[in-house]
Amino acid sequence: MSEQEKPKKKKRRYFFDYTMLFIVVFLILFGLVMLYSTSSYEANVKFEDPAFYFRKQAIASAVGIAAMLAVMLVDYHFVQRFAFIGYFISLFLIILVVTPLGYEAGGARRWLNLAGVSLQPAEVAKLALIVFFASVVCRFGEGIKGKKGFITVLALALPHAICVLTITQNLSSAIIIFSIVFMMLFVATPQYREYIIIGIIAVALAVITVLLVKYDVIPASVSYRFARIKAWLDPEAFAANKGFQTLQALYAIGSGDFFGKGLGESIQKLGYLPEAQNDMIFSIICEELGLFGAFAIILLFMLLIWRFMVIANNAQDMFGALLVVGVMAHISIQVILNIAVVTNTIPNTGITLPFISYGGSSVVFLLLEMGLVLSVSRSIRVEG
Amino acid sequence: MAKRDQTRNGYSKFTQRMSVKLAVLFVMILVAFAFLGIRLFIINRDNGDKYKKRVLSQQAYDSVTIPAKRGDIVDRNNTKIAVSQKVYNVCIDSKSLNKDDGANIESTLTYLYACPVEFGYTKDELRSFIMANPDSQYRVIAKKQNYESVSEIMNMVNNPSMYPDFTGVWLEDTYVRQYPYNSLACDVIGFVQGDNEGAYGLEEFYNDTLVGTNGREYGYLNDDENLERTLKPAQDGKTLVTSIDVNIQSIVEKNILAFNEEHKNEAREGAGSTNTGVIVMNPNNGEVLAMASYPTFNLNDPRNTDNLDVKVELDPEKFGVMNGILDGNADLENMDDAEIAEAVRKMAEAEAGQAAAEGEQEAPALTEAENNAEAPEENVEDTSNIDINVGNRDKDEESAADADDPYAGLSYAEAYDKAYEEAKMEALNALWKNFCINSTYEPGSTMKPFTMAIGLEEGILRGDETYVCNGVTQVGDHEIHCSNRLGHGTLTFEGALEQSCNIAFMKIGATIGKATFMKYNQLFNFGLKTNIDLTGEALTNSLVFDINTMTPTDLAISSFGQGFNVTMIQMAAGFCSLINGGYYYKPHVVTKILDSAGATMEAEEPRILKQTVSEATSDKIRELCIGVVENGTGKSARPAGYRIGGKTGTAEKYPRGTENYVVSFMSFAPADDPQIVCYVVIDEPNVSYQANSKLAAVLCKDILTEVLPYMGIFQTEELTEKEAEELAEKQQEFSKGSSEDENPEEVPGEIIVDREDEGGQNPSDTGAITFVDENGNELDEEDKTDRKIEIDPATGYAIDPTSGVLLDPDTGAPVDPTVTDLR
Repeated sequence: MSEQEKPKKKKRRYFFDYTMLFIVVFLILFGLVMLYSTSSYEANVKFEDPAFYFRKQAIASAVGIAAMLAVMLVDYHFVQRFAFIGYFISLFLIILVVTPLGYEAGGARRWLNLAGVSLQPAEVAKLALIVFFASVVCRFGEGIKGKKGFITVLALALPHAICVLTITQNLSSAIIIFSIVFMMLFVATPQYREYIIIGIIAVALAVITVLLVKYDVIPASVSYRFARIKAWLDPEAFAANKGFQTLQALYAIGSGDFFGKGLGESIQKLGYLPEAQNDMIFSIICEELGLFGAFAIILLFMLLIWRFMVIANNAQDMFGALLVVGVMAHISIQVILNIAVVTNTIPNTGITLPFISYGGSSVVFLLLEMGLVLSVSRSIRVEG
Repeated sequence: MAKRDQTRNGYSKFTQRMSVKLAVLFVMILVAFAFLGIRLFIINRDNGDKYKKRVLSQQAYDSVTIPAKRGDIVDRNNTKIAVSQKVYNVCIDSKSLNKDDGANIESTLTYLYACPVEFGYTKDELRSFIMANPDSQYRVIAKKQNYESVSEIMNMVNNPSMYPDFTGVWLEDTYVRQYPYNSLACDVIGFVQGDNEGAYGLEEFYNDTLVGTNGREYGYLNDDENLERTLKPAQDGKTLVTSIDVNIQSIVEKNILAFNEEHKNEAREGAGSTNTGVIVMNPNNGEVLAMASYPTFNLNDPRNTDNLDVKVELDPEKFGVMNGILDGNADLENMDDAEIAEAVRKMAEAEAGQAAAEGEQEAPALTEAENNAEAPEENVEDTSNIDINVGNRDKDEESAADADDPYAGLSYAEAYDKAYEEAKMEALNALWKNFCINSTYEPGSTMKPFTMAIGLEEGILRGDETYVCNGVTQVGDHEIHCSNRLGHGTLTFEGALEQSCNIAFMKIGATIGKATFMKYNQLFNFGLKTNIDLTGEALTNSLVFDINTMTPTDLAISSFGQGFNVTMIQMAAGFCSLINGGYYYKPHVVTKILDSAGATMEAEEPRILKQTVSEATSDKIRELCIGVVENGTGKSARPAGYRIGGKTGTAEKYPRGTENYVVSFMSFAPADDPQIVCYVVIDEPNVSYQANSKLAAVLCKDILTEVLPYMGIFQTEELTEKEAEELAEKQQEFSKGSSEDENPEEVPGEIIVDREDEGGQNPSDTGAITFVDENGNELDEEDKTDRKIEIDPATGYAIDPTSGVLLDPDTGAPVDPTVTDLR
């Protein structure tokens, strides 16, 4: 076999996932269009520059696409070397937020200012942990199948998740980080029972918390998170307050009809829907492009995730496959949680819609991840 | 398998089991996506219409009112007498300040309190307000600030990118009404209250013209249900150009004030008169040059009660407050009601303190009383915001609750406060009224020229009649006296008016007959409104005689101006027609209405409503009135150097016998070609003997002495030495009053010389008609010596031969004020 193939090596055709590249580029460009539509009003009011958000996002997207192409051309095994150092650097970056390098925006201290470049360490952590766990699972080998290995791997995700939660007060990112690891492990290990148990425990805890908050056993004043749970249960009752954003998002979705009001014609973006260009951009998509537009975007994300599955299944090695699974977990979790928040399916928490929501760090690191996935796809040999 | 070959250990390649698990994960993700898709669909299906409406209804709030500027009011020389100044309200939006967990509250407060604005809250109060009201989006924290004080805030609001930590504050444009001359022409101008609503005077009458139309910035949905924003600019109010002359108005008000100051507390406590009204008009077009009354109020602070005498009359004993129950030496007899209320209050406080100390059950009730006792102070502060009607509304509610006693169930202190509040509103309402158009009174002898004009116009009088006055005449069942109880003796036609002989006029009245008399009264507009363009003109239709029920006595007293009521403006406008050739002009104040750019929108041309008398009659009346000033009762009204005409009036007020009079003087100047009519009415002058029309005549003279030169009307008469002296003295006063900054050494006498030089009106040069002063004196003397008068040796007064009443030998008026009659 090797004898036969060796002379062919130069002619060997490698796979490249153009479908995926197209979807990603389309999502990025579509996101920019929607971002401009959504943010121009507020940008004009706040900064007297309708393109304020658009320009920043466009620059970040350009940087991200360049980075994606660069990473795509490099063999993904290259990043395996940085798996361990990346783990600690990303943890260090999160801790750096408490130093003067960290800065506050929108009332939360979640950003770093490194030599004029703004960076959200949580985004770094997601990428670093995907690389780290892909590498760790490969190292553990069969050991991961045991209970001990399973718990060790999950425990390795805790420092990041806890730091993100405590230092940056960012529950949603902590959940995402933990979920990514959880999903990667789910795919890497053969058992189901542990995951079902953990899943049931998590759901039960959530239900109990919600019930306790609902019947005022835990006063909503203890934490704004509990207040958000109350607002989630009955947004109309908190219409002036915690429920305001959710309610406005629902208004936007509901007023869109099937084909929407037309691109750029949203009313809710005119100062009614807070963070319209950010967490809530999906509701403006619903308002302007209707259910049709929303379903089209969901379909694109499904397509993307399907491509991830295909690439993971055909990856050259375990490391590449797990990288792809990690990115798939990351993107699908964010899409699901974002749309769930916008539709008031879960309590309000700040999660951006990948490739579309405003956020420089987010788009750059997502594109880096996409670069890794494309790199993995490039290594697939096309047979026959 | 090739794949197998490359694995270093069994776990280096994606296994089949992993693929299955990945497929499971993929399916779970798909299920989640599908679920969310369904959710989106359900939201649209179930709530789509509702949310669509919500979005639109939210839109409706998104309109901003752009206030219109209220139009200015200017005088005839374009001097601004009422202006609107743009000011700013500082507002805060707690909701936006509370965003991001209130991160910007402190920084914003620091910025705010560094600005030179007087806020309605202290910094701490405002902070706690913002914290406590996270939903409030509109709170005015500083009202009506001028541009200078808010310019920094404006800068920060307009540059959010430079001040990112300054949020939730904005400025609201609004306008305040300002009256640069404070109390000048207050009755004519009126003021603005509440929401740009004019009250009294021009402000109310022309409110619609002045307010303009507020603009709006709003979003609306076009045919495609797309949002469009439109700015509808405010239409500023229009400017009123009035016929008022600020200088004449000032002269008038200055002299009214001087009169009232002079007679202050003279015969009774209080101002120099209950009211003093003056109207200065141009008889040739009906324009009002000045209109004033006394007392005045500051238009910039119309609710100030500092100068008001608010009287409350309550019987303390009705409330159980009696001598002895109050502290020590308190004596109800010697205390006025306010002092008693204060004492009662103190007592309640003391008892409350005691009760509280003893911890008794009564304490709460008493503390409540204490609280109530404190209430009035707050009320006084609050009045600036209270609508005028509130007082009345309260009254209504009360009377509904207890028709008999509005103070039932109240302590004396409470009742006092209540009564005080009501009395204050009453006093304010009286103060704001324009006496010149709003108050009615019996005109008295100023009616006589009208009566005479009727007779002349109808040919009933020829002008050569003579009348014999014995001081009293019998009409019907009534004995009516002349002002001169001794009688005027035989009077010529002119003499009847000059001496203002009631007996003669009763005869004239009887000759004319009530039908003709009343027909002309209508023509002179008595009983009708003049429809002057000011708010609050009194309707007098029920205050004049009805021709069907009019008795000969009614006719008799009407002929000399008693028994029916008029307003000042009616008299002035009617008199204008008597002396201008018979043309009744509609009296008016506004001459032009300009748009905000200054272009004329409307010009109020002089409007002749009717011809009252013929030119010939008018000429004759003018001559007769000149005679009154030259020879008769109006001598004291003649300003030095001028020849004027006029008529005095003295009317006894109801109820008769209380010795309350309205004295008046109606004049026109210059005599030959009247340019102004000046009408002075003094209601209950504060003098021991009120029935003295000389008071009004002198006030009229004082006004004319200043107004005529100002109007560029030159002196025509030679000054006697005495007059020249007096005038020089006056000139000195004027120059002192008008130019305090000028060098005091400047000799005032020179001013007179200057003026005479300028005018070139030295009487000897012009050869103008000179009147022989002696004529009048002679007539007077003749009058007095004509009849035999007994002098009471004890008092030196004359004795009325018919009734034996003591009379003043000079005027023939009764000395004892209890003996009264109609004049």
